[in-house]
Amino acid sequence: MPCEAPDWLAPETLEEALALRAEREDATVVAGGTFVGILVNQRLLAPTAFLSLGGIPGLNGIEGGEELRLGPMATHRAVELSPVVREGWPALADTFAVVASPRVRNQATVGGVLADADYASDPPAMLVALGARAVVRSVRGEREVPVEDLIVGYYETSLAPDELIVEVRVPGGRHRAIYRKFRSRSHEDRPCVGVAACRRDGGLRVAVGAVAGRPQYFPELCRTGSDPTEVGTAYAEAIDPIADLGGSSEYRRRVIAVEVRRALEELE
Amino acid sequence: MTDPRVTGAARYAEDFELPGMLHARIARSPYPHARVLRVEAPPGCIALTPDDVRDLGRYGCQIQDSTVLAVDRVRFVGDPVAAVAAETEREAEEAVVLVDADYEELPAVLDAVEAAQPGAPLVHSEHEVSGGRAAYFALRPQPGTNVCHRFSIRHGDLDSGFAEADVVVEETFRTAAAHHAHMEPHACVARWQGDALEVWTGTQTPFNLREDLARVFSLPEEQIRVVCPPMGGSFGAKTFLRSEAIAAALARKAGRPVKLVLPRSEEWVTLNRHAATIELRLGARADGRLVAKEVSCYADTGAYADCGPGVAQKMGFAAPGPYRIPNVRVDSYCVYTNLPPNGAFRGYGQMQTAWASERAMDLLAEQLGLDPLELRLRNVLRDGDRYCTGETMHDVHFAECLEAAAEAIGWHHDRRGKGLSVILKGMQTPSRAAVAIEAEDDGAYVLRCATTEMGQGARGALTLLAAELLDVEPARIRFPDPDTAVVPYDTRTTSSRSTYMMGRALEVAAVDLKGSGGRRGYGEIVDEGGLDPDTGQGVASTHWHQGAAAAEVRLDGETGKLDVVRLHASIYAGRVVDRPAAELQTEGSMIMGLGTALYEEVVYRDGQVANPNLSDYPIPSFADLPERLTCDLIEREGAEIHGLGETALPPVPPAIGNALASLGVSPTDLPMTPESVVST
Amino acid sequence: MKLALRVNGEALEVEARADESVLDVLRRELGLLSVRETCGIGVCGACTVLVDGAPMSGCLLLAPLAMGKELTTVEGLGDDHPVQRAFAEARGFQCGYCTPGMVLTAASLLAEQPRPSEKEVRIAMAGNLCRCGSYVKIIDAVLGAADQKEDAWTS
Repeated sequence: MPCEAPDWLAPETLEEALALRAEREDATVVAGGTFVGILVNQRLLAPTAFLSLGGIPGLNGIEGGEELRLGPMATHRAVELSPVVREGWPALADTFAVVASPRVRNQATVGGVLADADYASDPPAMLVALGARAVVRSVRGEREVPVEDLIVGYYETSLAPDELIVEVRVPGGRHRAIYRKFRSRSHEDRPCVGVAACRRDGGLRVAVGAVAGRPQYFPELCRTGSDPTEVGTAYAEAIDPIADLGGSSEYRRRVIAVEVRRALEELE
Repeated sequence: MTDPRVTGAARYAEDFELPGMLHARIARSPYPHARVLRVEAPPGCIALTPDDVRDLGRYGCQIQDSTVLAVDRVRFVGDPVAAVAAETEREAEEAVVLVDADYEELPAVLDAVEAAQPGAPLVHSEHEVSGGRAAYFALRPQPGTNVCHRFSIRHGDLDSGFAEADVVVEETFRTAAAHHAHMEPHACVARWQGDALEVWTGTQTPFNLREDLARVFSLPEEQIRVVCPPMGGSFGAKTFLRSEAIAAALARKAGRPVKLVLPRSEEWVTLNRHAATIELRLGARADGRLVAKEVSCYADTGAYADCGPGVAQKMGFAAPGPYRIPNVRVDSYCVYTNLPPNGAFRGYGQMQTAWASERAMDLLAEQLGLDPLELRLRNVLRDGDRYCTGETMHDVHFAECLEAAAEAIGWHHDRRGKGLSVILKGMQTPSRAAVAIEAEDDGAYVLRCATTEMGQGARGALTLLAAELLDVEPARIRFPDPDTAVVPYDTRTTSSRSTYMMGRALEVAAVDLKGSGGRRGYGEIVDEGGLDPDTGQGVASTHWHQGAAAAEVRLDGETGKLDVVRLHASIYAGRVVDRPAAELQTEGSMIMGLGTALYEEVVYRDGQVANPNLSDYPIPSFADLPERLTCDLIEREGAEIHGLGETALPPVPPAIGNALASLGVSPTDLPMTPESVVST
Repeated sequence: MKLALRVNGEALEVEARADESVLDVLRRELGLLSVRETCGIGVCGACTVLVDGAPMSGCLLLAPLAMGKELTTVEGLGDDHPVQRAFAEARGFQCGYCTPGMVLTAASLLAEQPRPSEKEVRIAMAGNLCRCGSYVKIIDAVLGAADQKEDAWTS
């Protein structure tokens, strides 16, 4: 007997969504639906209910100013093409632009990519390097959490079961940033190593993605004026990279040193 | 009216439906080698367990080593142990996970060289050679071992040859298993009409399939009908008997038609390309003249032989390369392992030995201090030369292909970062093709032709040829899907033989039609040939497929990442029938070669395929194309049509490998991943 | 659940489970067989569907997410769309299995960028895989379609 069809919950306001989130722990949240779509299509996930955020107006905004404020339902493609982002945060637009394919970017969202915490996603590393924060809400209230504290492990976030990401805030002001995506196989391969780096007000933040469960950021290794080679080597030594089909741990370590150095050289 | 492929009207094997049909799923072994103790099907659905198929016939196109389901013993992770059929695909998916089985694990052998050694655990205790038409050469299974075929060439006197050599290169080369990754999955529908079986399936080999089904169900071949809708790609994967017997056995049990479409992940345990280990010794005089070559090939055929013996044989007779070598010794082994079966794959064994052979030529050139192009030109076969099989080469243009490829990448200006290769490939010999042409009342002609369509454009080329021969517009030629009940026998649609062989059969049929009143014509072509398996002497190929490739690469020395900037192939076509199709096949082969060269590899962990999806097994995309990818097809007035479906694949990996070698990194293994490059 | 959809310009109501994909619904309920499944994980593009003109993977789009959107498959382009003509002229296909996805992606690319460079075409289409390797002629087809009148294919 085929198992029962899941419920489709489609709240029309954020309040409704948060109430449902608190009530229905069994419901899988659907933002763009790419990640959930893969899991369901491959029969890795058979939820009893979906909680779709697509019907809630006002969640896909992209606003500039002192800070960039991204709605959780803003698509990758919208961020990629946004004149506001391109103007004030060009490296962030570039990062969203290299994710997967146009099909994925048309569907996947800012909130979704953070909530999925896929270790090989590109945007999280860049958001960490830019010092971005997620605004997270539940029926119990609201809090802000730096992206590097939001993603805690493989497909694991620090979100409570009743919380939703309602905004992502990226500090504005003068800065220079870069994202380098290293693929070891085809152009469409998931990254083997992703390096995001940002220089701002004499400070430096470097985050390395796709090499561990969470973006690897070591503030103590990013001392201002550090030689790119030194920072690269330090990051390679500090990280215990995964081994997968894209490369062994040792190979990733080698690439981390090279790509971090190259990212910093580009920022000079 | 536009082509159905661009309007969405194209229909493939996976679209075929029959009223009342059930949907099937296969339950598979989780162990690489084990005794099957118990298999229990879930209640409430039509199921096939080993007891249901125990009395059915064994099959196998060259070694009869296969049963419809694994009976008593499973031999690879993924070996079918049961199957279910249900009203919907979802129900079948839910039922198949409820199949319950117990196993007792046995020692497994997961490497072909190890498996070939005496004392290795045996995958099969006996090797029964098939009596079928696909066993078209004398097989040499080695009893008591995992070697199910050994092909040898003995030409000249190897020891005295090496004694004459001033320089000897000795190296072991390896090529990984690869996956066809055809876009449309394997798909078939089986239906019984009384005692007669009908199967609609995507296949390149309708008559071979019919023969094996007849063997399985103990029926005369005439009671089995195979109909072949177009395939969404195949590249060798949809050959011989795959899942059709399971669908047919379920259909017989259910009393209803059964459709079986493989889920994508199961494709990686259905058929892959032979991984190979090639040990090679090559000797030459100081002036570059080749004097001796010794090659041992170990082709990993997986747990069931399929056409592995044929692949090992072709690997063997292509191993010397397109060169005059007076003393040659080749031993090519088709070896069982407890891995998923490997079988036909575009290039058919010749990619593997071309890799070894053409890399070895560059190693030799380096030691001799010769230009790699010059070394090859001094030794390539020319018309009238005898190959090490004893046959006389005719209509060969290896030198011309090489020179055209070299010219295309500016070899003579600057060689740094550039590499060349030249290859020969045989075409299925012996072989038979037959075709009937029937005039319709509306002035059109119907071709009764067994050539199946997988995107290679044979249907289009044969339509053009028929139109030319019958002096009508191509729109007046109809070419229905092959149906074994209606079309005359053809060896199979493999080996890039169809445009050539069916083209010749069409010529005969057209003459017959015109000479007999214009209503019907029949033409049959039989090419004899073959090689002695112990000496390798005879006729390997009616004529030879020939090609050269040239590559220019940039290397990021710090990460090992290779960028193929320029890739060119010069292929001997003889006569091009349908130019766009010929270019597409050549470009497509080159792109597939690119994947093989740089990253395509089936990865196994304890016998299980670790990357059974298109994210973990990447294939080339638009963005992976070299900055410039070009080809030229060499023609000669009055020449025979030479097949183009595969020729441009084998020379691509060694051209890239040789280009990399010119930058100081000398690869021996495929794929040349960045990690392997920095570790070399 | 009942889903109100707009497919190829027609308003329809279909019955589907919430965990079914747009690909499932288009093929099974509506017989639009041009939308195909190769990889099942959104990387190959054989299941490309235009959703309000933007290409998405039908296999990853849960059917309810398509409500209120305009879906377009290649059957909805008619028989004589300039992009289809360009593909036929350039012979930008072999087995044809990936072709519907290619045509839709190209049509959507050209609607956004009427005169892409070859490099831009390569990157924009990189998410559509073709195992037959027809890429060179597909690029010719897309650039050929771009050469036609701009307003001929924006719809």
